[in-house]
Amino acid sequence: MIEYRQIHKSFDHPVLSGVDLQVEQGEMFALFGPSGTGKSVLLKTTIALIQPDYGDVLIEGESVYASSAALYRARRKVGYVFQNAALFDSLNVFENVEMGLAEEELKATPTMEVARRVWRALEIVNLDPAVVLPKLPSELSGGMRKRVGIARAIVGRPKILLWDEPTTGLDPVNTVAVERLITRLSGELEVTSLVVTHDIEGGLDTCDRVAMLDQGKLRFCGTPDEFRTSDDNVVQAFVDRAAAVRALDMAEAP
Amino acid sequence: MNPETSLNAVPGPVRKWFRKSGKVAELVFDHTGALGVLLWSVIRAALRMQVPSRAILRQLYVMGVESLPIVFVTGALAGIVTSQQGGYQMTGAIPQYVLGSLVVQTVVLEMGPVLTAIVLVGRVGARITAELGTMKVSEQLDAYHSLSRDPIALLAAPRVIAGVVAMPALVGFADMIGILAGMVAANLDSGLGYESFYYGARLFWHSYDLFYSFAKAVVFGLAIPLISVHMGFRTKGGAEGVGRTTTDAVMFMTLTILILDAMFPPLLLN
Repeated sequence: MIEYRQIHKSFDHPVLSGVDLQVEQGEMFALFGPSGTGKSVLLKTTIALIQPDYGDVLIEGESVYASSAALYRARRKVGYVFQNAALFDSLNVFENVEMGLAEEELKATPTMEVARRVWRALEIVNLDPAVVLPKLPSELSGGMRKRVGIARAIVGRPKILLWDEPTTGLDPVNTVAVERLITRLSGELEVTSLVVTHDIEGGLDTCDRVAMLDQGKLRFCGTPDEFRTSDDNVVQAFVDRAAAVRALDMAEAP
Repeated sequence: MNPETSLNAVPGPVRKWFRKSGKVAELVFDHTGALGVLLWSVIRAALRMQVPSRAILRQLYVMGVESLPIVFVTGALAGIVTSQQGGYQMTGAIPQYVLGSLVVQTVVLEMGPVLTAIVLVGRVGARITAELGTMKVSEQLDAYHSLSRDPIALLAAPRVIAGVVAMPALVGFADMIGILAGMVAANLDSGLGYESFYYGARLFWHSYDLFYSFAKAVVFGLAIPLISVHMGFRTKGGAEGVGRTTTDAVMFMTLTILILDAMFPPLLLN
């Protein structure tokens, strides 16, 4: 379970103003909101990639910010999928995915077993390991890079997966493929998934619960059905706008 | 008196000057403090043996071996120019063999370390800032943190250690090439024999000069990667931000090299 308690964060202006949120064990949870409302910032506070000015994050009941050891334990429980994959440019696919294993695990595990786990992680994300393993990130397409990023996040068998706009920059076909992958992985690996996304329809179709951030505050939290039928004007306007954008995207798709 | 009212009593240009000075002072303290923290983190990572030797070797190759051609050219030109200009000035009563001393002292004490450092600022420092800056804006540094890996141990420390090791070797190489080129140039340009050049060089030579040259090399070798890593880690704002930070870093490193160079004579030559 992930618990956000009164998260405040300001840069030049307030981005998050007292966000309280709970994501239950094994749940698939989507976080929506207009651009610049602090969705990615909230996600990054989960493992202290950005430190909140005030507030706390608890993973399985333990504060991430209690000590450096607690932060290390939290990070080992979490797999983070970055918006643009954030693969290491100078490492090939094998080395990138291998980095998903903890250092002590790498030292203790025989090389063949490491190779087997990397191979399996790439197969899970529907990539052909024999083809992609020796390639550098610059030799991969956007969709493939994203899949390698997902493989790196899951190879260490995390309990929680954090997805930062996983479908951004992908064409509609790849968007659907990645959405299916997220759903399948969450089921197969029995992980808790928190997905920050602009893809409202995709999120509503696949997630158990959804929340919406607006102007740094939690505007809505509930089931997809409750979200669709919400009488909150801001939520409704957001849903309508997102549906219009999605329809436009689909119409422009080849 | 209300502080706002008292501030308004100060003439506009003076107020502006104070504001600007305050900002500059803030910036200097901010960077100095951050550089201190970075240096301490690098030392701690090295003492804890967290720095991969493979990464250090790779950086040594990039900074050291790949820099040899440009350092060769810079060192040779420094020696030739010093020899030619010195020869031009020694047409009067000064014995010609003094040219040997002039070339050796100039190259070893000043030209070798400073020109090598300036070359490394452009070749290595700019590259490190751009590389790490790109990693920062593309979230690769965040990815290191998310995977419980320490970017200081994996990225910063190998570069700083390699800088401290490679720079003295490069300066030694530049000194040697500069002296040899200066000796050949003195022979061709001023007709000074190699024995006379050698005699002049030995006449005013102190072994301490070599220590001075290497001391400069170690300090510059620490400053260049440290500043470039620091600037790379602070990059913000996409491709434009990487370009801006790299330019700032080159300016910052060049200025630091020249300031440090000016601090050496009063500290080590008196």
